[in-house]
Amino acid sequence: MTIVLLLLLQLNVPDAAQFVGPPKGTPITGEALFARTNEVGQLLRCPVCQGMSIADSPAEMAVNMKAQVRELLARGYTEEQILKYFELSYGEFVLLRPKSRVLWMLPLLALILGAAVVFIKLRKLEKNEPPTANRQPPTDDPYLSRVRDLVSGGKQ
Amino acid sequence: MNRTVLFVGLLIAAVLVAILFLGLGKDPSEIRSPLIGKPAPSFALREVGTGRTVDVTQFKGKPMVINFWATWCAPCWEEHPVLVANARMLQPDVQFLGVVFQDKEDKILGFLNERGTSYPTVVDEAGKTAIAYGVGGVPETFFLDANGVIRAKYAGPMSPDILRENLQKAMKQ
Repeated sequence: MTIVLLLLLQLNVPDAAQFVGPPKGTPITGEALFARTNEVGQLLRCPVCQGMSIADSPAEMAVNMKAQVRELLARGYTEEQILKYFELSYGEFVLLRPKSRVLWMLPLLALILGAAVVFIKLRKLEKNEPPTANRQPPTDDPYLSRVRDLVSGGKQ
Repeated sequence: MNRTVLFVGLLIAAVLVAILFLGLGKDPSEIRSPLIGKPAPSFALREVGTGRTVDVTQFKGKPMVINFWATWCAPCWEEHPVLVANARMLQPDVQFLGVVFQDKEDKILGFLNERGTSYPTVVDEAGKTAIAYGVGGVPETFFLDANGVIRAKYAGPMSPDILRENLQKAMKQ
């Protein structure tokens, strides 16, 4: 009844086919549709929330987007096509998982780079460090010589 | 201090400052929509009050201003007189169209009867048109050229200056 009413109310709304062509997958129904809607919804950002997916957000905008995901899956659109459809409207911002894997690697690369810098610095310090005995400037002061002898082993 | 370390440090700091400067200098209302430069998604929706179908393609041949709004949105109240006055002044050269979503028809009708209007307003019941246009919140306004290509998008309430500035982008084409 609601669907018939909506069809009567909405005479021609923009369709995913305009953007991503005909469905490339198989239509799904029932429990599988519910589960898949949730899975794909987890990958899309709610545009009016703070970093929440449309699957988790109760906002009306997110609910509408989730309904659209459900409808597209039921019509046989693939996950890739659905994500592309939303990306074409909202930009890459709407994708919670960035397309470029380089972004995911950045923290690891930064860590490796930082470790390399620390390692090189430590090696350099070790190389330049003079032997302990040579570090002490020579002195004519007999008192200081005595102290040094005591500290270095007490031999005289 | 080692000169190389100092140089690299300064370079990293300069890049970070440049990124911050560029980010802070931007107007958050000016959202770069991926739809800019592309044909506007077509739709035909029911007009509030009359029930007749308004097809966006029927306005091809003149620039269009498509305003997404809702009665519960305070900035939409603020911009409404600006849109009504400009639509009145610029018609028939420019076509204005209001698209309301996440709202009830009786409320929309009450709002328009109370505050007046000078252009058609349609209802986007399930928000599909808003989604196709990448609308994140209301108000958001799209400026289409005479060929139906989106030339500008503005998020936030319209002022006469903002409206004129964005409309010029659509008129230039």
